[in-house]
Amino acid sequence: MPEIKVTPLGAGQDVGRSCILVSIGGKNIMLDCGMHMGYNDDRRFPDFSYITQNGRLTDFLDCLIISHFHLDHCGALPYMSEMVGYDGPIYMTHPTKAICPILLEDFRKITVDKKGETNFFTSQMIKDCMKKVIPLNLHQTVQVDDELEIKAYYAGHVLGAAMVHIKVGSESVVYTGDYNMTPDRHLGAAWIDKCRPDILISESTYATTIRDSKRCRERDFLKKVHESIERGGKVLIPVFALGRAQELCILLETFWERMNLKAPIYFSTGLTEKANHYYKLFITWTNQKIRKTFVQRNMFEFKHIKAFDRSYADNPGPMVVFATPGMLHAGQSLQIFKKWAGNEKNMVIMPGYCVQGTIGHKILNGQRKLEMEGRAQNGPLLDVKLQVEYMSFSAHADAKGIMQLIRMAEPRNMLLVHGEAVKMEFLKGKIEQEFSIDCYMPANGETTTVTTNPSVPVDISLNLLKREMALGGPLPDPKKPRTMHGTLIMKENSLKLVSSEQALKELGLNEHQLRFTCHVQLQDPHSDADTLHRIYTHLKSVLKGYTIQHLPDGTVIVESIVIKVSSSAEDSNTKVLLLSWSYQVIIEPLLKKSFLYPAVLANPPLKSDVISSFWVQTLLQFPDSNKHCGITES
Amino acid sequence: EMEDAEFEDILDDWFIESLKTYKDLHVYQLEHPTQVLEWTSGNSVCVAGYSQSKNEILELRLPLKLLADENKSLCAERDFKVSHGGFTDGPVRCLTHIPGTRCAVTNDGLSSDLQVWDLGGEESDVIRRTGSIKGKRSASERGSRIAARPSSAPQVLHGAQISDVQLTELASGETLYKLETDSADPLSSLQFVSDTVFLAGCCNGSVYVADTRTSAPPQLSHSPSSAESVIWWTDAAAGPHPSSRRVIRVSSSGQAVVSDLRNLGGAGCQAQLDVQTPGRCSQVKVSWAPTLDDCISVSGFSGVVQIYNTRLWGAEPQEARPLFEHRGHAVSSQQTDDSVPTFVTSHIWHPERPRTLLSAASDGSVHVWDWVDPNRQGGSPTP
Repeated sequence: MPEIKVTPLGAGQDVGRSCILVSIGGKNIMLDCGMHMGYNDDRRFPDFSYITQNGRLTDFLDCLIISHFHLDHCGALPYMSEMVGYDGPIYMTHPTKAICPILLEDFRKITVDKKGETNFFTSQMIKDCMKKVIPLNLHQTVQVDDELEIKAYYAGHVLGAAMVHIKVGSESVVYTGDYNMTPDRHLGAAWIDKCRPDILISESTYATTIRDSKRCRERDFLKKVHESIERGGKVLIPVFALGRAQELCILLETFWERMNLKAPIYFSTGLTEKANHYYKLFITWTNQKIRKTFVQRNMFEFKHIKAFDRSYADNPGPMVVFATPGMLHAGQSLQIFKKWAGNEKNMVIMPGYCVQGTIGHKILNGQRKLEMEGRAQNGPLLDVKLQVEYMSFSAHADAKGIMQLIRMAEPRNMLLVHGEAVKMEFLKGKIEQEFSIDCYMPANGETTTVTTNPSVPVDISLNLLKREMALGGPLPDPKKPRTMHGTLIMKENSLKLVSSEQALKELGLNEHQLRFTCHVQLQDPHSDADTLHRIYTHLKSVLKGYTIQHLPDGTVIVESIVIKVSSSAEDSNTKVLLLSWSYQVIIEPLLKKSFLYPAVLANPPLKSDVISSFWVQTLLQFPDSNKHCGITES
Repeated sequence: EMEDAEFEDILDDWFIESLKTYKDLHVYQLEHPTQVLEWTSGNSVCVAGYSQSKNEILELRLPLKLLADENKSLCAERDFKVSHGGFTDGPVRCLTHIPGTRCAVTNDGLSSDLQVWDLGGEESDVIRRTGSIKGKRSASERGSRIAARPSSAPQVLHGAQISDVQLTELASGETLYKLETDSADPLSSLQFVSDTVFLAGCCNGSVYVADTRTSAPPQLSHSPSSAESVIWWTDAAAGPHPSSRRVIRVSSSGQAVVSDLRNLGGAGCQAQLDVQTPGRCSQVKVSWAPTLDDCISVSGFSGVVQIYNTRLWGAEPQEARPLFEHRGHAVSSQQTDDSVPTFVTSHIWHPERPRTLLSAASDGSVHVWDWVDPNRQGGSPTP
């Protein structure tokens, strides 16, 4: 049976990283290659030993697809391609290709330089890995090879995030990566057509949540900023160049305008340049509103937001500053943080996840005294007195979102990864009930095999069709298939169903008939003709409803089975019955009358055996027969 | 689109205003609207659908950020967690949690029969139906009200009309008590005011108080108004002292009457509530605040939840202004047609957090809000 296999790599209940293997139509595809951010040792990398115990992965994978630039989806990419070894194609969208190496390099710097780790990928490895990348455009079918094709769909979530459709022959799989179904200020909502994949693969992390509205998250952000400004404090917002930064800027600008606020808002220049550069490249990836704004004017020509100069950090009074990098691990944002940390009127708002080893990670874990390299304010430790706020703006689909996506794509099966089965039984039941499809939830390291039902379209000859229709009965429909007889001819790329006679004609072959024969011995003192007559009479009484004829040429015919009687050469009292039947004989109606039928059904023997034992049974009931009668096969 | 921009603007106004008027605010959208909001623990609630056929019952855990006290700022978790879920065959009009258990009892509003559910534990996230309790009536216009006995014995008080009220033991299905009265007035509320004493509020405004330990006839307090088409809803405050046990009755015309539990017919205080569409309501909910003295909340007349301070009310009915109004549901629901405006279907107070409420509306929205007392705005936060 054709089947698709899906295995989320990883162990146990690990939910920190995505790396999924799919085997479809003889092809092996890896979906995402994420790093687990919670571990410091080899457990942070996916366990590739599932694919092969040693050696490179190139021979085992047809391609690798990366859904978006978050580290839990691409963090292990350089490790996999350069340290384990993979030289095949790596697919990702254009924005992902542009942004991935920056995040990977940042991540590498933090891990190696700050934490002093040694078994990690190098800058050169990141560069070499990215050389293997083939960029994808939305809705464009890409032939990976003769049989495997892939297509990217818009996923929302972050700039460049894609859902991917994978097709081999008539089997297909869609992998969602991370996505969201409600648009936000700078990204649209995920969209896919009714592609009806055999399996839709999605994360289950947020599948059992109901998301608080975007407005409330924004409200919380504005409330915190406003409260700090009102008491004369300074607010630092460390951001990555792209994404949330633009959203938060637009939000503050609107708010400042509405409330007629005067405190300055600054945006560090490095950020502006980079962001403008990326937006120009990837304008099609943002939503309508941003596109309109960008077309009308420069993204960052805000009324209330100005370019930052490092000297401003020492100015008195309230202000808001957006600065990179986002995790406070180096550069301008860290410098500003050091200056402002000692004042409890100030605030730092962390809008996203921070990698272990960064200052951002430490303060989000409640650390209030920090070791600083280089100059510190007073003494070796930095006292963190300012208010630390952690806010999550990332856009994820929730329970409702998953149902919406399933409605859109109409998959034949659903598969959820990274969840605990006992915590998802309700969702599984809900999906199965509403859509009448199976919902699978493999644990990490466990393989799910989904049997597919690929349809094979075949043309049928008009004659055959007419003949079948003439047989009567109900018209065939998808819920009530009808079996029929015909011959399948495969010629070049076409499949054709024709009647047997037509097939033989086309092939220039003569039809042959197979006739089976068997001999049954009987003890009967009568003459050959009399024995035959007695058999005839007996059969007529036992097999009512069947056509039984006694022909003048010395044969008895039951339907199309021929019976002849002759005397044995050695002993005239031993009669030998010759039974012969063609392969086409429909023996079942006869069989059904005999008590052998259940046995026949249970162990379908060769037709000749059936006939033989049937005849033995029938003849054993023959009134004068000697119970010892054997069978000789010919 | 002009309309969209206008709508966004109004929303923005309310949200901007909310920076000062709420400490916390969370807005959620359920797939299907709920008419029930019931605490199953200090941090989880049950909701359930009320469409004609199949519906879901969900147990939702409140967002961690709301509940976190010291580390609130370091907690980014704002979502509801669907901790348990199940399916029903019909609408859920009433849902009561049995205290001290993982059991809940529902009524579909079509008959007076009750369904019994196991809310699930650690080993499974599925809410399963475990049984049923037969009520007196196979067909009922409003369905039964349900009240769970506060003590440890799982028993439910239920009935669709005053003469049907009975106390059933869950485990055995045995009827332990029946209210002896001939009146066939339909009920709009049923609740225990102590472990054995309960209050049954009828739609016509009369209130019965009885004790499940005795078969003595109940005390009856007649309706404050004899107007025929007016419907009344009731709530009794469950204070620690008998003196603080008061009862409020609110009518569909917006009349509110407060009296003492021990002297229901006596002089209390009253007011004419500032409700938008008096007369057009079927799901009015009135509730005493668990920890704020004299405060009551009312919803169901429109898309607004109102909070009043009854201490300001006098003996004569006068127009009362609400102390606070939660307009979130009205403001954030975008009407595609004007036939049925969004209205609040239910609301509940958090049992301990003084100003935290949950409210649900007919458009499927559920809000969690911690309001700021306008009289103390600018003051330091109080527990």
